[in-house]
Amino acid sequence: MIARNWLLSLGLLTYVVVLPPVTAHHAGVMFEEEAEITLEGVVKEFQYTNPHSWLLVDVTGEDGRITTWGFEAEGPSTLMRRGIRVGDLIPGTRVTISGHPMRDGRPAAAWTRAVRDDGVVFLPRGD
Amino acid sequence: MTQIRKSVVAVLAGMVATLGAAQEQVGSAGQWQRMLELGEAHEMASGLYQALKEEAEVPAAPAAFNQLPDWSGLWTHTGSAALGLFWSSPDGTRPNLTSIGTAMQEEGVRLNAAGINYDENLSQCGPPGFPRWLIIPFLREFIVRPEQTWLTSETVNNVRRVYTDGRDHPPEVERYPLYYGDSIGFWDGQQLVIHTNQLMARQMGRNTLYQSEQMETVEIWENIDGDTIRAQAWLYDPTILEQPWYVEREYARVSNEDTSLRMRYWHCGENENNTVFQTEEGSTQYTEFIFTGDEDR
Repeated sequence: MIARNWLLSLGLLTYVVVLPPVTAHHAGVMFEEEAEITLEGVVKEFQYTNPHSWLLVDVTGEDGRITTWGFEAEGPSTLMRRGIRVGDLIPGTRVTISGHPMRDGRPAAAWTRAVRDDGVVFLPRGD
Repeated sequence: MTQIRKSVVAVLAGMVATLGAAQEQVGSAGQWQRMLELGEAHEMASGLYQALKEEAEVPAAPAAFNQLPDWSGLWTHTGSAALGLFWSSPDGTRPNLTSIGTAMQEEGVRLNAAGINYDENLSQCGPPGFPRWLIIPFLREFIVRPEQTWLTSETVNNVRRVYTDGRDHPPEVERYPLYYGDSIGFWDGQQLVIHTNQLMARQMGRNTLYQSEQMETVEIWENIDGDTIRAQAWLYDPTILEQPWYVEREYARVSNEDTSLRMRYWHCGENENNTVFQTEEGSTQYTEFIFTGDEDR
């Protein structure tokens, strides 16, 4: 355990000193373009922000535990042009949502499609 | 006959034997080749700009406001940014790169094949810079006035100012590198002709070439059908290009009938979930998301 903590500390140190994080309009290589996941859940928050927006969705697992997933999309002007307004997906809305998952397994994806519980379909990256 | 066509004819006058067929060719590829050759006929961007200016017979005073085109509204780039500035000619022509440019291109190919991608400009939310600005996505507005035209883009809130009041570039001793350079221009009828220098050495896109401080450009902007503004651009950078390169890009009017669509401010620190870092291998990765960490509820 001590060795593991030491390695974690070293990793954190490397991260802080050598690889400072930056805020970004980023490339999409973190997502697995070849794969797609589809989940059912409840909108927790729609972060309608530049340069990228995030739709946060609470997904309940088979064991009853809730995981918050983040679905990334372009900023507001692109979403508006594709008919997705901030008021379309208010907290509490039930959705079936799809996206290209993160390569590292974290609960996030590049958002490709969402179907609201009333059947309306949203395609943030177009057809 | 427009001024640019007159220039093309002048260039081709000495090339009739070999390019006679090209002059008759109809279609974008033939026109694109003629524009490429127009750039090659001038050793420097300033030479092409001066030739266009002399042919245009620019009046001493700026054009009156009511003589200028109406470019109001929202616009967006219609082509693919993925192909960059160099790999999208209509007939497959590729730029003649210097050894430095070739090495950069090969490194970009290697990084793409390895799935390594980090944007040295936008990942840090810095300016995309010019001429990359020509191919960036999202909304644009073009504000035309007699003494200046502002070419703006939503991406990182950037503005290119093109001075059309007759001023020249700053004297050489006062020049320093700028993200969007220093742009002067003139109106030739409804065409805006622009010369840009003082550009910063900078990566021109993801996994592609780096321009040098020698980069200079000439552009011709025109609304060609009411809903499409076309930019023709000649890129001169002897560090990476053996000959000047020609780029043609179009910007389509964005539908906004209910006027709800507007240009909004970009602040990349607004949402911490967008924070990324460059990995040790040189690619892009998110830091911790702020929406995770409260699992097991």
